[in-house]
Amino acid sequence: MQSQQIQQLFVRYKILALLIAVAIIWVFFHIKTDAAFVTPGNLSNLFRQMAITGMLACGMVFVIIAGEIDLSIGSQLGLLGGVVAILTVNQGWGTWPAIGAVLVLGLLIGALNGYIVTKLRVPSFIVGLGGMLAFRGIVLYITGSSTIAPAPDNLITIGQGFVPPGVSVWIGGLIFLAMVALTARRRVRRGKLGLTQAALWIDILKMVAIGAFIFGFVRMLNDANGIPIPVMILLGLLAVFTYVSTQTVFGRHIYAVGGNMEATRLSGVNVARVKLVVFAIMGLMCAFAGIITVARTGSGSPSAGTGGELDAISACFIGGTSMRGGSGTVYGALIGALVMASLDNGMQLMDVDNSWQMIIKGVILVLAVWVDVLSGSNRNG
Amino acid sequence: MSEYLFEMRQIVKEFSGVRALNGIDLAVRPGECVGLCGENGAGKSTLMKVLSGVYPYGTWEGEILFDGKPLRAHSVRDSEDAGIVIIHQELMLVPQLSVAENIFLGNEIRKYGGVMDYDAMYAKAEALLTRLKLKDVNVAAPVMNYGGGYQQLFEIAKALAKNARLLILDEPSSSLTSSETDTLLSIIEDLKHEGVACVYISHKLEEVARVCDTVTVIRDGKHIVTKPMSEMTTHSIITAMVGRDIENLFPKVDHDIGEVIFEAKHVTCWDVANPNRKRVDDISFEVRRGEILGIAGLVGAGRTELVSAIFGAYPGRYEAELVLEGKPIKIRSPEQAIKAGLSLVPEDRKRQGIVPLLGVGDNITLATLSHYAHAGQIDRQAELQVVEAEIKRLRVKTASPELAIMGLSGGNQQKAVLTKMLLPGPKVLILDEPTRGVDVGSKYDIYKLMFELAGKGVAIIMVSSEMPEVLGVSDRVLVVGEGKLRGDFKNAGLTQEQVLAAAISHAAEGPAHAA
Repeated sequence: MQSQQIQQLFVRYKILALLIAVAIIWVFFHIKTDAAFVTPGNLSNLFRQMAITGMLACGMVFVIIAGEIDLSIGSQLGLLGGVVAILTVNQGWGTWPAIGAVLVLGLLIGALNGYIVTKLRVPSFIVGLGGMLAFRGIVLYITGSSTIAPAPDNLITIGQGFVPPGVSVWIGGLIFLAMVALTARRRVRRGKLGLTQAALWIDILKMVAIGAFIFGFVRMLNDANGIPIPVMILLGLLAVFTYVSTQTVFGRHIYAVGGNMEATRLSGVNVARVKLVVFAIMGLMCAFAGIITVARTGSGSPSAGTGGELDAISACFIGGTSMRGGSGTVYGALIGALVMASLDNGMQLMDVDNSWQMIIKGVILVLAVWVDVLSGSNRNG
Repeated sequence: MSEYLFEMRQIVKEFSGVRALNGIDLAVRPGECVGLCGENGAGKSTLMKVLSGVYPYGTWEGEILFDGKPLRAHSVRDSEDAGIVIIHQELMLVPQLSVAENIFLGNEIRKYGGVMDYDAMYAKAEALLTRLKLKDVNVAAPVMNYGGGYQQLFEIAKALAKNARLLILDEPSSSLTSSETDTLLSIIEDLKHEGVACVYISHKLEEVARVCDTVTVIRDGKHIVTKPMSEMTTHSIITAMVGRDIENLFPKVDHDIGEVIFEAKHVTCWDVANPNRKRVDDISFEVRRGEILGIAGLVGAGRTELVSAIFGAYPGRYEAELVLEGKPIKIRSPEQAIKAGLSLVPEDRKRQGIVPLLGVGDNITLATLSHYAHAGQIDRQAELQVVEAEIKRLRVKTASPELAIMGLSGGNQQKAVLTKMLLPGPKVLILDEPTRGVDVGSKYDIYKLMFELAGKGVAIIMVSSEMPEVLGVSDRVLVVGEGKLRGDFKNAGLTQEQVLAAAISHAAEGPAHAA
């Protein structure tokens, strides 16, 4: 059964199917734009565009795995970005104290959402809907509905700057070595415990693929000044979130709460606290995304982040996060974000009308989840 | 033409090789009420699902005759069209819809197009309710404005609206007060005079004795006896229901019973939906070190509510005073309960026990994950060592500890849940239906483990609906009925009849005690 084997392969390595999808999208746009898509300059741009959605998706994937949703993150992003702009431009704060304050504020806003969901037991969908309006209202109020500019130079550097090419090469090399070391350690450990191992050739193939990917990635971006700083931050967040989700007690509890909240509660896990922390992290990610948004555009716009929640949620679902909670991965969500960003970027290059952009993105989202359902990987319970 | 309105002949139903029903006969004459009795798990619900078309024709063997003609129902709709209506234990009304809308749900009276003819529906609903002697009902008001007794009668009205000729009532009085039950029984009498036939399924034998003309007893999926009620007594029904010796399924090991380790005093739970109704009414008991305390009773008697209140997991309002090792303890959440030294293996494995998508190992360590972690980071090696040891000790059959637990059989899932709740090292272990849906081999392993734990001085509280299990495992048996403590027996020469009699006995008789 050849076709069944291929299907099995895709169910097991969903990520492979996603990467193939990304490749198809890229080839399509590359041809359609007369080879203007896969160029160092454009890809650098694309990854920078993706960084903001990616940060939101990092937080959102935890929220969805825990069986909740947060619709207010676009407005949270706008509010937190607005605050950082006001603090630096109008209040004369230094860039770093302002960033610190906004990160704390984001954490608090997220915790407030979490408190309302877990302690006051208002469904998260409603809390998000309310927050979407209320937070946007606050931004409009504090900014007086006008754009706040110009952001200080060192803030702008965070959004528009690059990691120098030389350093980029070193970082790429370190990431590769770390991946190899982690895989080797995993193999040794699993061998010791007598657990089933992936075949050696698969792991080697994986390493070669990852190495080639990192090399290509760094090389490509170095041709356009190096890795953009927001992309570097996103890579850091990817590492931290993957670590938390796979290696920590808290991470395991997120999956358990989303998989079966009642069983988890009866196992003595404080499910309310888990969810509250997940929402707080979501707020923190909104702060990151808000700061980067201001830094990239050089100004605090009261409409920043509008619709950001939809991109982040779409990214999670395209990346294979289960609608019902209990399963999903951070890297999957980031590849989902890459799909969304590629579509945006490609269609802008092709000069597709905005209305068509929205239609196509909407259709692709539904299509992607439909394929996921077809592959049977979401069939459970 | 036979004298019967309805006949089931030699019904056999298998579930993956296990015979749930093995040649059941059931016959009802027009205007007759037949009582169907059997222990929990005897096959009553399966039989009802066969006859109401939930299990379509062809998935079971045997023959069903209705009006002398073979009935081959492929769905509930088919059997309802023939005139068979089943009223389930849990009422199937939509609380927000009006009484009339519920009565005609799926059966609406229409004008042109899809427009509901409310006038006709209200008039007909009122006529139906008058037939049931309900006069003070506003048929346009939502069902949730009325209590459980009324709702039960609305269900009957709904059945009559479908021109039911055979009414099947499954534990109809389980959520009714005694005066509401009285009303219900007299209405069934009236319906019998009008020629409606009934099958009355109930554990409450006084009700069966009052309203039924004939009694059929089934046990372990087999037909035991069918006799006119006049030739039966409550006692002979109980004997027929139990009817067997306990096979030597229980690897009973002598163990020492020590001092009182845990006391629960004045446990009272209120119903979540109906705050005036007590599900558990002032129950107090104690359990000793190394003692296995069985809690018997009928389904819905309040046993699960009792133990979940003790564990801090009851969803509604409750009160309980708990004393562990002489010191009063305060428990308001499972987290606190586990920290105090209590563990609970819940009744519903799928809903409350397992996290289906997580691996077997991840499930096993869920309650104790922080034991294998430093600064929040899981030491996978330490975790896996514990998991492997536990899987071996309890003989959990799984290809790998990383396999999602939902792929395991019920017995192996149960063992995993059990070991999850044993890892915190409880002083008091509460097991709610520990062997439900578990194969015989796993059952044996679970009993063996229980005796082993008791030998180590763990106090075990076991809620079970399987009478042989209660008698085969427990040192002492509490009987709970309708939320009250009905008996406290030492398990020495205790018989199933005694326990069942205490569980079924009317409240007026007061709790039975045997030293």
